[in-house]
Amino acid sequence: MIPSASHPVPSGTAGSPSGPDGSPDSQVPLRVLSPDGGLEGEAPDLSPTEREALYRQMSRLRAFDNRMINLQRQGRIGFYGPATGQEATTVGSAFALEAGDWIFPALREAGALLVRGYPLRKMVAQLYGNRADDALGHQMPCHYTARELRFVSMSSCIANQLPQAVGAAWAARIRGDRTVVLGYIGDGGTSEGDFHAAMNFAGVFRTPCVILCQNNRWAISVPVEKQTAVREIARKAAAYGIPGLQVDGNDVLAVVAATRAAADRARCGGGPTFIEALTYRAGPHTTSDDPTRYRASEEAGRWPDPIPRYRAFLEASGAWDEERERGLQAELEGEIDAAIEEVEAEPAPDPASLIEGVFATPPALLRDQLEEVLRPRR
Amino acid sequence: MTIRHEERPVLTPHNLDETELLGLFRRMALLREFEERTAEQYARGRIWGFCHLYTGQEAVAVGAVSALTREDYVVTAYRDHGQAIAKGIDPKRVMAELFGKRTGTSLGRGGSMHLFDREVNFMGGYAIVGGHLPIATGLALAVQYREEDRIVATFFGDGAVAEGAFHESLNLAQLWQLPVVFVLENNLYGMGTAVERASATRDFHPRAEAYGIPGEAVDGMDVLAVREAVTRARDRALDGKGPSFLEMKTYRFRPHSMSDPGRYRTRGEVDIWRQRDPLRTFPERLIEEEVATREQIDVILGEVEEEVRECIAFAEESPHPEPADLMRFVWAADEPEGEDGP
Repeated sequence: MIPSASHPVPSGTAGSPSGPDGSPDSQVPLRVLSPDGGLEGEAPDLSPTEREALYRQMSRLRAFDNRMINLQRQGRIGFYGPATGQEATTVGSAFALEAGDWIFPALREAGALLVRGYPLRKMVAQLYGNRADDALGHQMPCHYTARELRFVSMSSCIANQLPQAVGAAWAARIRGDRTVVLGYIGDGGTSEGDFHAAMNFAGVFRTPCVILCQNNRWAISVPVEKQTAVREIARKAAAYGIPGLQVDGNDVLAVVAATRAAADRARCGGGPTFIEALTYRAGPHTTSDDPTRYRASEEAGRWPDPIPRYRAFLEASGAWDEERERGLQAELEGEIDAAIEEVEAEPAPDPASLIEGVFATPPALLRDQLEEVLRPRR
Repeated sequence: MTIRHEERPVLTPHNLDETELLGLFRRMALLREFEERTAEQYARGRIWGFCHLYTGQEAVAVGAVSALTREDYVVTAYRDHGQAIAKGIDPKRVMAELFGKRTGTSLGRGGSMHLFDREVNFMGGYAIVGGHLPIATGLALAVQYREEDRIVATFFGDGAVAEGAFHESLNLAQLWQLPVVFVLENNLYGMGTAVERASATRDFHPRAEAYGIPGEAVDGMDVLAVREAVTRARDRALDGKGPSFLEMKTYRFRPHSMSDPGRYRTRGEVDIWRQRDPLRTFPERLIEEEVATREQIDVILGEVEEEVRECIAFAEESPHPEPADLMRFVWAADEPEGEDGP
């Protein structure tokens, strides 16, 4: 458990680093809501507006995912990686940060970006890669970047963002400012050498960061059982002298509580924390993947949906009902429609922009190639 | 750094007779003498380039390799003279390699960090920190795949623990239950970096738990403790129970390499560890428990001195590599022929 004066982790349901027998085997994931949405532990301190915002962002991401998959199937965008099933983990963790904190995403953290206030229109533009896209189509689709929101580019290289996250946190520590860094990684990423180096560095230099592992049970087609011989990835943190805990990643309130406590701890000079969020990738790895080839449909059919779970909690407290739900869905449809319409009207990037944005002065070889591309065909 | 002094068991429970116990001492004494004379030859300019001496850590190589068979593989890092000789490479050929001579284990091309001898299943010293751990893990995969009756023992330092290759190797070794024994020689310094500046945890063996591997600390200055721990780990591996992680608490008496002035630790610290020198404590114990006499010990010391003198003479007299061979032994198309090959 993470000690924190301002945001105590709910007791009773909280995971403790060691069980009654002192063995780390008996860890219970931190949970606030029961699987059917009943309040089981102490909810983090959130205003009614904040509670609703969590729900709205999760629903927004879900609606966006569904539409983008359709667009890809229609051939209007080339590629998409949905976060279906993982909304609570990404939305909840980003929600627990302050605006000045940095986020180093892996590749399935669009929820965190939405929480930061990134417009849907820009996400659509990135997927189309046309002139409306800030990066002018230079980046792989679904790999957003928003420097102004302190959200580093997503990268398909596994785990490479963690040494960067820890380095950024170290910089914050040296500067003595109150910035905390949240670095994400997946269960597959924990097998990478970069994970090891980042965790060791964070432990030795007590960098103000939170390393959050989205354990969605599948690294593309490799199940977590074939990824590591350790049952709880959170246990790996002990090897680096870092506190590690498991949280129910489908319980958005538990994710908020855990991340907030860890971020507070980092901000007060308490060093890094490792959080393993237990969640599930309900959809394919990306639109280029067919999970029916490697996992049983029964397993995928039983996935614990975080959205109805949290909705049940809101409804029980009188903060949500069917009418508001219909209103929200209509609003989201409208927002997504408008974004697509606006972006689709944009032309493709100017071919002359092909070599922009990488080199301060593009090398001669690239300039020659560009010239050849731009030369009128005979 | 302090090591708990456990109640020392008497020598007999180790099921070793007098000859075997004296054999362990002889091998440790040989390594010590070999390294001391190597340092002299280096100072004389007969050996040059990178050279990392094993002085102080003899009990680890000798104890560990004594628990292995000739068929077992050994893969180690760049401080490799000790493991190479313990594994059974003729010390003459090791010295010749240090001299860069054609009669060396790697035909004079590898030098101190790249000893190799397929004949005794010594699969190499490797210069890249932690870079040999995936090689050892891969060898263990081959052993498992071919259902062979042998194991892989791999040696590395505390500095290598921070490398990504370490992490990837341990994860896969346990996941696939590979017959490999990871022997960490924690000599407290990765070059000039003390362990407490490189790791937030004081001990490394609990890290094995992060991979589901049993980890254990062993007194690396006690050749019998090392032997016993590696024997157990080897048995586990042969039983199909997967890898083990042994943290040998040891110390190098000399600087990291011949080009290290060693300014990061005090003379006093070295002196404290020297009191636990296996070349001092082990023969004392043999005499105390009446396994051997002082005279027998002195005879062995005299013999190894003579043996290392012969090594140097052999290396000095050996020919240099042929310039005509410069382009050979790298590509498969030009495999070395006959007995000359590495």
